[in-house]
Amino acid sequence: MTEWNSSTLVKAATKMGKKKNALTPTTFSLLHATDFADRLMYMIVPPLKAGMIVLADRYAYTAFARDVARGVDRQWVRDLYSFAVRPDLALYFRVPIEVSVDRLLARRVKLKFYEAGMDMGWSTSPLESFRLFQSRVLQEYDGLVEEFGLQVIDACPGIADQQRVVRRIVSRYLEKPS
Amino acid sequence: MTTDRAPEGGTGTAFEAGKYYGHGLPYVPLNEYPGRIIAIEGTDGVGRSTQIRLLREWLEVQGYGVAETGWTRSTLMQPTIDLAKASNTLNKLTFVLLYATDFADRLEKEIVPALKAGFVVLADRYIFTALARAQVRGVDRAWLRSLYGFAIAPHLIFYMKIDVDTLIRRVLDSGGMDFWESGMDLKLGDDIYDSFRAYQGKLLREYNSLAEEFGFRVLDGRQPIDRIQEELRRQIAAFLASAEAPPRPPAEAAVPTTAG
Repeated sequence: MTEWNSSTLVKAATKMGKKKNALTPTTFSLLHATDFADRLMYMIVPPLKAGMIVLADRYAYTAFARDVARGVDRQWVRDLYSFAVRPDLALYFRVPIEVSVDRLLARRVKLKFYEAGMDMGWSTSPLESFRLFQSRVLQEYDGLVEEFGLQVIDACPGIADQQRVVRRIVSRYLEKPS
Repeated sequence: MTTDRAPEGGTGTAFEAGKYYGHGLPYVPLNEYPGRIIAIEGTDGVGRSTQIRLLREWLEVQGYGVAETGWTRSTLMQPTIDLAKASNTLNKLTFVLLYATDFADRLEKEIVPALKAGFVVLADRYIFTALARAQVRGVDRAWLRSLYGFAIAPHLIFYMKIDVDTLIRRVLDSGGMDFWESGMDLKLGDDIYDSFRAYQGKLLREYNSLAEEFGFRVLDGRQPIDRIQEELRRQIAAFLASAEAPPRPPAEAAVPTTAG
């Protein structure tokens, strides 16, 4: 199990950059790629070689969607991640932007600066900024579905329903003779 | 005193000075800007910083605004790079990516603003040291070039070339060999001297191939400091006086140009 943005090496710089709102779209992208490279080597490749199943909570596709929404070049970020292992199965949990906003409001958590795309300067309202930025992110994801063959899961129904779908897809994949 | 120098006034490469090498930063369009970038490359201990200090004084006396930028000096990344070096946990990709992040930070926050404001930017190493080090470590060349596609091709790139024997004597005279400069991570030799010699030899070969690809102007780094400085000034003066140059410094811009 490996999570986005969790390597100890890069944490310090990312934390500092985020705290000071000092990241540009390109340094944001490169720091996350560095984090990914670090985890790939220490946490993804060894279990794969040992025959284990690696569950990745977000993968390079997050960068493809988010960094391009921020304005980095589409091809550049794909080339950047060309060292990544291509996942055997990639699931994309899709919700419309309004559902995403409603869930966020229900959680009553403060929107994070970069998560809301506040660095883009599109709106001074965090919620409006989130709506604008995440709409662009979702648009990029839609393109990724076809480009990389992501399996789309409708994330509007309840968790139990989603999990049933996920298990069906995963077991079908695992039973397939390789 | 120069050896196999690229023809002056044109680098003879596929790249256009002052433009992005590759995909660039789509959100930072480069239209006409008045500044110029001059990069000084060369391996550790060759005397780059001294030359840059002298160049800065000389340019400022003539009225140019000068900005300096140096490898791993970004406020964002320096602590992380220092930490990573101290703890020895870098694999070659994270090594390369940390350096690229540092460079991107300085490019967007220091270099581009200085260029737009009409400064001469003196870069104490540009992207080429990173390319040489990564290539010695076997990182894919095409991937590296795409990665650094956001860099702006400098207007002039000087390479202070030196041979391994001279370099070894200089480094030993000035404090000795350190772990990374000796490429100890590559396990090229059992002792630091053997490793330094083997590693720096490989690096110099990479620089030579980069010199051709990116149109370096090669200077003989074994010459005395003032001879190298003289040659740098001669070539930079010729460049700044040419049509590619930024507008004259304010002091001279006031002089009527009817004669020209």
